[in-house]
Amino acid sequence: MTLLTRITTYEGIPLWRHVGALRWAAQIASAVVVVTLVVWFFANIVNAIQDRQIPHGFSFLQRAYQTPIGQHFLPYDSSDSFLYALVVASTNTVIVAVAGVALATMLGIVIGVARLSNNWILSSLSKVYIEFFRNVPLLVQLFFWFYIVLELPPIREGYVIGGNLYINNRGITMPWPAADSLIAVVLWLGLAVGAVLLGAAVHRMLVRREISTGKSSYPVISGIAVTLGGGALAWLLIGMVAGEAPLTVSYPEEYGAFGRLQNGFTASAGLLALLIGLVMYTAAFIAEIVRAGIQSVGRGQFEASRALGLSPIDTLRHVTFPQALRVIIPPLISQCLNLTKNSSLGGAIGYSELTNVAKTMTQTAPAVSIFLLIMAAYLAMSLSWSLVGNLYNRYVRIVER
Amino acid sequence: MATRDVPAKTAEVPPPMMTVGVMGWARENLFSAWYNGALTIVLGVVTLLALWFGFAWIFGPADWEVIAKIGGRFVIGQYNTEAACIGQDCFWRPLAGLMLVTMLLGMAWGVAGGGFTKRVAITVTAVAALAAFIPYSFDVMGLDVRLLLLANIPALFVGLALARYTRLGTMKWIAIMSVGVFLLTLLLLRGLPWVPGLQPVSVIYWGGLMLNLLLAVAGIALSLPIGIALALGRRSRLPVVKMLCVVFIEVFRGVPLITLLFMSQVLVPLAFPENFPQNSLFRAAIIITLFSSAYMAENIRGGLQALHPGQEEAARSLGLSGWQTTAFISLPQAVRNVIPAIVGQFIALFKDTSLVYIIGMLDIVEMGRAFIQGNPQYLDNAQELFIFLALVFWVFTYGMSYVSSKIEGNLGVGSR
Repeated sequence: MTLLTRITTYEGIPLWRHVGALRWAAQIASAVVVVTLVVWFFANIVNAIQDRQIPHGFSFLQRAYQTPIGQHFLPYDSSDSFLYALVVASTNTVIVAVAGVALATMLGIVIGVARLSNNWILSSLSKVYIEFFRNVPLLVQLFFWFYIVLELPPIREGYVIGGNLYINNRGITMPWPAADSLIAVVLWLGLAVGAVLLGAAVHRMLVRREISTGKSSYPVISGIAVTLGGGALAWLLIGMVAGEAPLTVSYPEEYGAFGRLQNGFTASAGLLALLIGLVMYTAAFIAEIVRAGIQSVGRGQFEASRALGLSPIDTLRHVTFPQALRVIIPPLISQCLNLTKNSSLGGAIGYSELTNVAKTMTQTAPAVSIFLLIMAAYLAMSLSWSLVGNLYNRYVRIVER
Repeated sequence: MATRDVPAKTAEVPPPMMTVGVMGWARENLFSAWYNGALTIVLGVVTLLALWFGFAWIFGPADWEVIAKIGGRFVIGQYNTEAACIGQDCFWRPLAGLMLVTMLLGMAWGVAGGGFTKRVAITVTAVAALAAFIPYSFDVMGLDVRLLLLANIPALFVGLALARYTRLGTMKWIAIMSVGVFLLTLLLLRGLPWVPGLQPVSVIYWGGLMLNLLLAVAGIALSLPIGIALALGRRSRLPVVKMLCVVFIEVFRGVPLITLLFMSQVLVPLAFPENFPQNSLFRAAIIITLFSSAYMAENIRGGLQALHPGQEEAARSLGLSGWQTTAFISLPQAVRNVIPAIVGQFIALFKDTSLVYIIGMLDIVEMGRAFIQGNPQYLDNAQELFIFLALVFWVFTYGMSYVSSKIEGNLGVGSR
């Protein structure tokens, strides 16, 4: 045996035919290719930054952003820092995402159930809805709603409904809860959550008693009564201690010569169009998920519960839907993710969400750093949705036997 | 002896009138219970009112002039403007590309020998040819344009003849020629500096539906193979390969496409040496393709996971190698089982091509929006514009899902 053969042979197999060695070679080769590419890109970026003296690093975050942000839910001023502006923009995205997911899920479930109705008109209408809204780009739909709002009459000739709801081409201004002291609100909210939990506990206890004794004890009504009563009690308690109600209503008022509005809450044209568009678009996808989920439950389940005397609605509520949830939840989570990511189209219709603000920021701050930051923000949002979805999935799974 | 009672022949009684025919159908589907009857009446009235007012609006106050004003710019954007094509007429280049496509469709018809391929080919050609009769004045839409549009009919039959009477009439040749036609169209549109009459046109002027279709075709053709590679990589037993694929897929799925597109315009130029040849269209195409491949990979991984492990074991025990098992046993079944998801991703990709507005390219949507922004007298007609755009996209996406359901039928999904 020559030396070369001895080196390149393992247990009598030449290395180039040895599976283990080939696997290692493939991994090392792919790692080398990717690492080389990444290093090359990175070196080029670093070179370009140095050659063209492009600003870099994260020191810009402390600087004042000095650019207005259209609609914002956190208090914001142009003198605030880049970092805070990013927080404000992320909040804008998160609020649209959460509100959008809540509304889209409700609408989607209604349309998905309607799709399976044995009423021909209802199921055809929902089919038309799904096929249309799913197949048209979200951007076109957003522009459609946006220009509808823009075509409303200007602010001085706008519609006023009931003296408090102002509808005009700037958006909708409506009464909104306002807090005088933050502590009272937080305290009341905490107590209100406690009341909800207490109501749920009462409901569960009464359901158990109903099952064990067979006597009706009105669990739903009692639960709601306990919740509302607890909330009202907390409201009165805090009101007596603080001397005023924890939340008051802020009504919109006209001021100045041009019929401008202050107080209340104004949903700008961009926010309205974005929310309507996202909800209508995503609901079409959710409806298909819900339909597939309900259809995945065996027909025997439906027939058995009907044979036991449950009404169609009770069958859906207590038998079919809980089982369908297990199929529905995973794709539903990915729709939540999609909605969150799609909210980045809000920039096209003038809503200051994360991507839009980041895009403006790149004019005065290093793009590489901003890109890394907003990527981290979006990944964090995606992970949060996955977490919520997985927790709920686990909760639903207990139903399984 | 008792005789058996022979029952007298009874007259055939027709089924109750309320269970068959129109009445039976209506009873079962519209009035099966009192609440269904109420729902039917309410929804019926609402639907009729909506249709009535909808049609009244379409043929009444709606002003469709904005569509006519934009006209050809919906299709090719600013491609044929004076700035894009200095001193020349460039309208014939996209039209020539269209003729190549109809020729390919004719070949596909010849190979498939009819069925839905024939229907698709004839529909596309008919739409192109009918476009020649749009009632514009000849100043706006010249005779040359109209003749080139009509030339799609002979192009279709040239393709059909090529498939029937030459050796090009196989699937393999159609696949090769599709790639060739795509590259040739790109070359035609881009132009060559040393060929007279083929003056280079910068990609920043490419626009309209042409841009959407180019991006979608490139993305669809490339995202499937890349997605398959990524899906296989993610299921690989090699930890390094698996990790790389997981990172790629999760990063591209975690960030909005619009963010990636925008950042590609800012960052990618820095990531290459300064004299490296690149342009915005190319970058957008690559980002859209990679983004779509990440989703495609997850769809295909789903298909691979749903496959019974017995398939792979049987293939291995028959003596197929690992690669052969993947290529001939696992992948074909996995891909076939997730055709709806794959086509769904293709449709999503086509819709996503409208996002290139973020990098300043005038696709069909942005072309329309830029027009009404530049001509405020049409601001009140934005609804007409966006309804038209929605219909254009709807026709394409619905066509894609129609073709997908036909392909599924031909492959026998769900019937074996």
